[in-house]
Order: sequence, then structure tokens, then C-alpha cells
Amino acid sequence: MTRESYLKRSLGTTLSRRIKESRVLLVGAGGIGCELLKNLLLTGFGEIHIIDLDTIDLSNLNRQFLFRHEHIKKSKALVAKEVAQKFQPSTKLEAYHANIKDAQFNVDWFATFDIVFNALDNLDARRHVNRMCLAAGVPLIESGTTGFNGQVQVIKKGDTECYDCNSKEVPTTFPVCTIRSTPSQPIHCIVWAKSYLLPELFGTSEDETQDFDHSEDAENAAEIENLRKEAQALKDIRGSMGSEDFAEKVFNKVFMTDIERLRGMEDMWKSRQPPEPLDFATLQEQSGSVDNTISLNDQKVWNVTEDFVVFKDSLNRLSRRLKDLKEKTSEKDVSPILVFDKDDVDTLDFVAASANLRSAIFKIEPKSKFDIKQMAGNIIPAIATTNAMTAGLCVLQALKVLKDDLANAKMVFLERSGVRAINSDSLKAPNPNCPVCSVAQGRVFIDPTRATLNDLVRDVLRLQLGYGEEFSLSNEIGTIYDPDLEDNLPKTLSELGVKDESFITVVDEEDENPRVNLELVIRVSQKLDEPAATEEKKPVTLERVMDIPRKPKAATPPPTEQVNGTTAHEPVTGKRKREAEGELSNGYERVKRVASVAVGSGDGADPIVLDEADGGAILIDD
Amino acid sequence: MTDSFPSALTGPSSKERKYDRQLRLWAASGQQALEESRVLLVNSDGPIDKQKTTVSGVVGVETLKNLVLPGIGGFTIVDPASVTESDLGVNFFLEEQSLGKSRAEETCRLLKELNPDVEGTFSTTPIAELLQDTKFLPAFRLVLVSGPVKCSSLDLLCNASRELGIPVLYTHSVGFYSTFSLQLPAEFPIVETHPDPETTQDLRLANPWPELLEAGARVRDLDTLDDHQHGHVPYVLLLLHYLEQWKETHEGNVPSNYKEKTEFREMVRAGARTNNPEGGEENFDEAVAAVLKSLNPFSLRSNIREVFEMEECQKLRADSASFWVIASAVNAFYQMHRVLPLPGSLPDMKAQSADYISLQNIYKSKARKDLEEVTETVRRIEGSFGAKRSPIPEKEIEVFCKNAAHIKLIRGRNIPRIDRDVTVQSSVRMALGIPESLAPISIAFQILDAVVDQLQETGSTVASIDDNETWDKQTQRIIGVLKAEDPEYVDEEVEEQIKNATQELRRTKAGELHNISSLTGGLVAQEALKVLTRQYVPLDNTCIFDGVKSRSEMHRL
Repeated sequence: MTRESYLKRSLGTTLSRRIKESRVLLVGAGGIGCELLKNLLLTGFGEIHIIDLDTIDLSNLNRQFLFRHEHIKKSKALVAKEVAQKFQPSTKLEAYHANIKDAQFNVDWFATFDIVFNALDNLDARRHVNRMCLAAGVPLIESGTTGFNGQVQVIKKGDTECYDCNSKEVPTTFPVCTIRSTPSQPIHCIVWAKSYLLPELFGTSEDETQDFDHSEDAENAAEIENLRKEAQALKDIRGSMGSEDFAEKVFNKVFMTDIERLRGMEDMWKSRQPPEPLDFATLQEQSGSVDNTISLNDQKVWNVTEDFVVFKDSLNRLSRRLKDLKEKTSEKDVSPILVFDKDDVDTLDFVAASANLRSAIFKIEPKSKFDIKQMAGNIIPAIATTNAMTAGLCVLQALKVLKDDLANAKMVFLERSGVRAINSDSLKAPNPNCPVCSVAQGRVFIDPTRATLNDLVRDVLRLQLGYGEEFSLSNEIGTIYDPDLEDNLPKTLSELGVKDESFITVVDEEDENPRVNLELVIRVSQKLDEPAATEEKKPVTLERVMDIPRKPKAATPPPTEQVNGTTAHEPVTGKRKREAEGELSNGYERVKRVASVAVGSGDGADPIVLDEADGGAILIDD
Repeated sequence: MTDSFPSALTGPSSKERKYDRQLRLWAASGQQALEESRVLLVNSDGPIDKQKTTVSGVVGVETLKNLVLPGIGGFTIVDPASVTESDLGVNFFLEEQSLGKSRAEETCRLLKELNPDVEGTFSTTPIAELLQDTKFLPAFRLVLVSGPVKCSSLDLLCNASRELGIPVLYTHSVGFYSTFSLQLPAEFPIVETHPDPETTQDLRLANPWPELLEAGARVRDLDTLDDHQHGHVPYVLLLLHYLEQWKETHEGNVPSNYKEKTEFREMVRAGARTNNPEGGEENFDEAVAAVLKSLNPFSLRSNIREVFEMEECQKLRADSASFWVIASAVNAFYQMHRVLPLPGSLPDMKAQSADYISLQNIYKSKARKDLEEVTETVRRIEGSFGAKRSPIPEKEIEVFCKNAAHIKLIRGRNIPRIDRDVTVQSSVRMALGIPESLAPISIAFQILDAVVDQLQETGSTVASIDDNETWDKQTQRIIGVLKAEDPEYVDEEVEEQIKNATQELRRTKAGELHNISSLTGGLVAQEALKVLTRQYVPLDNTCIFDGVKSRSEMHRL
């Protein structure tokens, strides 16, 4: 009996050999990732690449069995490789402590793998890998778990549905005024503490983080202006961090002065109960006997004096931490900030205490720290058993893929109860209207110094590919061109955020028989590599002219506005012509537009997102 | 999940942080139950043939891994085998240096590394010998057995466990197939069944108590409210308000059938103000959506009625388990009021916060009052037995009252054996009748057990697990047993399916595939967690997994 005797007997020699010769990529070394790595090793996979951006946290240890206490804060990918390699020395393992979205992991790199496994914890990365695998023509095994539920899906370009063939759940959002002026539920106060107060004091302030839904701003212009002033005043207080009366200043500002101002707006409280400001001195006096250690009891719902004590204590802890960080960073580096992390006790205590104090003011039910952690962190319950089952199902699907037996590969669901805990369903054909997989693809080479948007629009799309007048272009930062948005035409593509290996989506908006969406992969030509070519070469060239099929004539109207995952909130760079002329009649939902092109610094057209990582229908295991 | 942490856990919060993600599934009470549990894994029982073939026990180790990670108190691995080269290729919890050493010792050592909070021991003595010491088994809360195990050992273990009320999980994993069965004690009640929150809402709108009625009556003249107030009347009060109006024209009755409810729904819908930008009101939408499910008069569900009617509940003894004492007290409450104690939770709804909180308090204080009444009865029962009983913790009574409507009682079954038990035979026949049933796989595993038994007890000195004669004989025998009563259920097609399933087991010489065993280890551990935490409803009693089809099936055999 040899090491592989069981395997060969069960899988047969042909499949065993294919497994041994295959090269697979595992994206994510978390709950499912650890299990998958173990199973892939013991199923005989010859070469496994594993990538994860995260480091190990204490709360991972109840299921991510490759990690121990001494590994906390180390790279998941590197530790997973090191630990697993010991158990199977003959397998080639490669680990990357990196973001899968980095440019180095381009389409060509993806194409070197036989199978890609997604064991991810967020929608954004899932979508990215889905897109890369479609572009590279590599089969993808997508998986996810939440509590006792799990799901596995096989995705192959042209044969099956892709991850984006079905629309995914949109994260919950709240209007600014609900959060800042008229909260009525515990979650409103928690979001206030997490996304307003904490960042204003220790992080990047609201104006820079694009964290609020401003779509109703116009109706509330006066109040919005007041809120801006409030935020500015808080910023001034931030300057006195470290001084003895810092806590008192912050407290008086947000739990007294701001509340008094709100209370003064009588219109607001005609039919709502007005808020009651809190008094620092009174609470200080009452809280004499309360010990700081109350914050350790996360199951108890604290009373107001306990909230007060935890508020002061955690504010202190955070101030000291930021001070230490600042001392360690040199002048020219980016100034350090603290961000909310559900597993970081200091930020959690601060958010829990602040949220409860605000709840007391607005007569809203307070919550325990345990519950606030779940609400603020959007925690997905996770246990080892579900991960073990899900990873096992991933490998079973991978075997079907390696046998070219896609017809028998399945979509598999795990459920807590029911007659069958594991249910499977046949894979579905691609959705012909899917904005991601039912697209044509092309490759464009650009000279980054010269190539303008106009070169792409005129030379390539109109002249070479035959596009008419009505179409739009979008990339990561939003819509960069459409018939009403011509301001960007003279700009270089680089100015519009177009980088090497990035995507531009072209949506044909002709009423009559439009083309399917075209997805262009951008390659930035390296001049040094091709010295001869630069002279005559146009700044933007198409790899080859391809035929772009027309959209199928579906009974359902084509989802124009949701194309490319674009929601009504997607920022648009540049000024719209018709809008500028005051014509608002072509059926577009008018939302806030962004006139500047500086990437990531718009004035915040994004809604408040509870946890944007968790928007998918498949939930996560982190 | 607001119960406070047992004092042993409140110290350093690192433990809570480590287990945070699972505490959200079974709370501190479940975690405490886990930490008080010791699990026995019988991972092999000596060679299964005369060629020293041994059960490789991967599924056992993978199951244990999934219990060590969430933090059971401790485990013991019983396994007389030594580590072989082929073990290394299939078992992740063995390493190069383990070769030739005791497999129990090596797997125990590597599993312990997963969680320093968990204590682990091992033994290389066969289980039958260990059981001779009557103090051995009672130390455990759960027994895991990796099959195939010879019949005599399994019988010893299962009988002893049944007498002690210890649950047993018996697992097989071979090639692409696996199966496992759960033997529970004769009565296994589960209080915290975690039903779907949608189904647990108990608002008592058709059976309101005075304080709730009064709150409903305060919403008198909706027309006088301004738009904001009108749009923020909690839907529960809206429904109460319209119910009173309805009763006036319906001889004091609430809408009882579908037709009446639909009429009533239209009446509520018509009350919404639509002259606003939204064209309606959220609280009215909520009220309309709740009509069909929230207006049913209280009725006792069969699961709890069954509990009330059981002899254990009717005739309490001084040593009755606290479950039966509380059940009896709740039954007395039901006989008196014709409703169960109110759970007291209120779903989220559109409302002003102050109104919501005051409504919430009405539900909470009624729940508290009901709990007090049940507790009084419990104390009276305890008193009637004199000093023989120590008082049941209030917490336990409270949890029972909160979950009363969804309590489930499972009557434990034995590990199914086709060749012994006629009721198993008939349920297997039933299972075979289901289209695309996985039952043939379960039958094939029983044939494997029979083959192993024959090889051990009577086989020649060289008999090996791939001995065709033994396989054919046992296959025919088991099929014969199934046909004996009623040949119709096992036609040629079914017989062919059973034989095909045995082929997978024969082809792989009873060897495990790591991936299937790992997956099965997840399934088995999940049931083990339900049993140990006494939360969620566990398997009753057999699960079959087919890795070719990526599908599982549950059967009551």
C-alpha cells in the first residue's frame, strides 16, 4: 500500500494523473480556504497557488484550522502554505500575501491555471475574479457560507451562468438626515457612531470618505448646511486630542450642544418626541462607582452611566493609540488614522457606548455590546462544519470539471434542515442579458502619454468597430463618456483612471438592434519594449477587429441602467451637456453628478453602506 | 442571545472573541454545554479482515477536528491501529514521523494542537476490553464510531450507551459514498429548536390580554392624526383597532376563514393614506402583510401536545428530569388559560421609538407574568416531592416558556440493522420506493458490515476484504431479507442498484477518499454539535451522501 493507493483506486489512473498535472488557484485562505487547501493536497493536486490579503485574527481560530494562536497578525496565505506543506511535501505550493485585484494578477496570469477556486468574503473581489476567469476562459468554482448555509457554483464562460448573471442583494442604506438628525432605531445610532463620530474623531472625515447618501440633500439644504458646520466644529475639537478635557469637549459637543440645536428646530419635533440632551457633570457625578471593566460584559445592556464610563474610557484608549501611531510615523508619511473593526475592542467599545448614549437621547432602545458588534460589523456566523462540507463540495465539482463532465457538474446548496441537507441543481445556461458574461471582449493597447478618450471613441469605436452616436463608456470610477458627457473627450485615458490591465465597458445605447456590451481590456504599451512601433503607431490600437454580436431580442427590456453593476448612485465624471442645459426629460434618473475627475474624491454620491463587503446573495466567511 | 455568560467565561474576553462567530449560532448556553462535553471516538476496532486491512478512520478524525475547533471539553480516541504509508496519503492529522507509531496517539497529538482549550487522551486497547470497566463509558456525552466495526463490538457499545442515555453516531465513508446514523436516548427533548423567526411570531391578536386590548383601544380616531402620526401607528395596534371594528359587525368574532381575512385585509388597506409622494404608508403595508398569518386564534401544535400527553409529563416522579417538571407546569398553564406562556418578543415595525418601546413593554411584562405563573407551579411540584429535588434554575424555566410552542421531542432509534429489525426492513423498503433514492447506498454499507463480520468470525485465515465469495453471499443474504416479507419492493432494478452501490465499496476495498471523509466529517460534526448543545433539531436517524451526485438524503430507518 502506497500513499496514493486509496486515491488511485477511487479516482482511477487517468483522473489521478490529470489532477496531479493540474495547476489551480485558490483565492482566499479563510474558513473555506483552509479546508480547500487540505482537501486539494490530499486529493493529489500537483500545483496550488494561494492568495489572501488578510492577516490572522483571534476570531478565525474556531474554524481556520491551519492557524494557531502564535500566528495571529501574520499573513493567512503564507502561514497556510507553511503549515500545509509539512503534511504534503510533494505538492508545489505558491503563496501570495496580496490583493487579487492587483495589476500583476492579470488576465494572462489567470489563464495559466486549470481551475480557480473562490473562497472569498466579499462581493467586490468575487465579481473581480468572476470577470477575470471569464476573460481568461478558466473555469471558476465559486463558494460561500453563512452559518449553517453554504453554496457552491461552477462557472464557465459560455457554458454556465456566471456570478453576475443574477442580480445580487444591495446593501442597506440610510439617508443622511435619519442618521444625523432623526434616528428612530438602534441601527441608526450605531451607524452614526461607526460612520460619523468615529471617523470624524479618529479617521478620515465624512467629506472625504463618500460615506453618505446625499440623494435627498436638495430637499434638506438648510439642515445639511448645519450638519456641515457641526462636523467642522467637531474637527476643531479633534485638535485638542490628548488634553485632559478632550472627553468632556467631545461629549458636550455631540451629546449636548448638537442635540440642543436639533431640539430647537421645532418643526422637526411636531410629531416626534424631541431629543433630550445629556449633561456631562451629572453623569460624571453618578458614575463615580462604575468601574471601567464594565466594558468586558458584552451580554449586559449597559445603563446610561455605564455607557458614559465606557465612552470616556474607550475615547481615552483610542486617543492614546492614535498618539502613539503619530509618534511612530514621520512627517512626510500619510497621517495615521483609526478605522472601525468589529474585532478591535477599542473601536467596538467606543461605537457601542456612543451609540447607546445617542439612543438614550432619542429614547431608542439600547443594545448590548454583543448585539451592537453584530449590527455594526455585519457579522456572519461561521463554524467549521459548514466550511468542511462546502470545501468538500468544491473539490467534487472540480473533479467534474477536470473530467470535462460539465454536464454533470452542479450548483450545490447546503441547508440546516430539510429532507436533504445537501441539495443540488443542474447548472444553468448563461443569462443572455448578463452585463458581465454575455459580452464581447477585446484588447486595446494604449500609449499612456498620448492616448485620449477621443482617440478611443473616434478611432477605435466609431471608425474601426462601427459604433454609432449613442453609446457610453464606463470604468472603475464610473461613466467616463456618453452622448451627453463630452467634456472628457480631450482628456488622456490615464487622467480618467485607465490603467494597465483595467477594464472599460462599452454599452451600445442605440434603440434599434444594439450590440451586446463590449468589454475592453487595456494594455499600456511599454515604449522601451517596442521602440520601432511608436513612431507611426496610433495612440490607441485595437488588438484585432472583432465582430460584436447584437443583443438577443428578449421579452424583458434590456437592463440599461443596471448595466455593469451601475446603480443610480454611480458617480459620473464630467459635466453632462443636457443637464447643464436644464433638460431633464430623457428618462434618466437624475442623481448627483461629479464634475471633478480626481479618482475617489467626489463629494460623496455613495449611500452609507453598512458593510459593502457583504452585499452578495452568497454571504461570507471571513 | 442576551443571556449572560457563565462566570467561568467572563474573565479574559479572548475566549469569547475566539468563539464569537459561533456564539451567534448557539449563544453562551450552547457554548457552555460544549465545554462540559467529553467525546469518545472509536476510530477502529482492529483489522477488518485477515490481511490486516484497517479502517483508516479519516472520517472520525475529521469529525473530531470540527468539534475540537469550536471547543468541546475533551476527547478520547480509541484506535488499536498503527500508522501506515497509506494513512499518510489520506489523513491530514498524521505526518511523516508518525509512520509506524500508534495512530490513536498521533492523531490525538495533532488534533490537540488545534485548540489548547481542549483536553485529549487516547487508548490503543480495543473498545470491547475498555467497556469491561463500567466507569469508562459514563465519562462521555457522545460516542462516535467509524465503521465498519464488527457486530459484537458495536452491539456492546450501543447497548451500554443506550442504558446510560449517551447518543451514538455510527459513520461509514468509502470511495464516493458515505452514510451515518444517530442513536439517541429513548426520549430526547429539544427546547431551543431555533425555528425560522418568521414562523415564531406570536402576537396573540386574536387572543389579546387586557393590557394589549387597552393599548389597541387607545388608537381611537385615526382620522384626527396628522400624517406623520398616522404613518407611525405600529401595525399591531392598527390590526387591533380594525379588529374591534370588524367584531362590531360580526357578532364579536374575528375573521376566521380565508374569505373573511381577505375582506378584513381590504378593510385595513383602505385605511391607508395615499395622498402622499409614496402613495401609501409603510405601517399599513406591514399590517396588510400580517393579516393572514397573525390573526389565527391560538392553537396548540401537535409537537407540544404530544409532550403534554406523554406519561413522563402526566406522572411526575421525584427523579423526573427538569424538562418533564417544567413541561407539566406549562401544561397546567395551558389547561387554565388555553394558551401557552407568551414568548414576549415583538418584531421590528414602523413606529415612533417611544410607541414601539411601550408596546414592547406590554409584550415583555405579559411574558414575565406568564413565566412567574409557570415558575410558581414548578416550585409547587418541587415542594410536593419534599427535599428530594433541588430547585430548577429560573433561567431554564424561562427558556422553556420562550420556546414552548416549538419544543420537539425525538424518540431515539437504534443504529439501523436490516438483518435484525423488521421495522428497519419496512422503512428501508419504503425508502427504496422514492425515485432516485440513495437508500441502495445505505444497504450496501450494511452489506459491508456483514462482510466484515463474516471475515472476522468465520472467514479463512487468509480472507481479505475483496473476497468475492463473501461479498456475493452477504449481498444475496441482505437482499433476501428485504424480499422475504414482500418481494415486490426489491425488483430487478432495485437489486441492480444495490449491487452497483456495493461495487463502489468493493472497488475501493473499503478505502476512504479524503475529500468525501472531510465533507462527511462536517455533516457528522454538525449533528454532534446539535446533540451536545441540545439546540437545533438533530438528524432522526440516518443520512446518506452520494459524492457522485453531490446530494444527501435523510431517512428514518
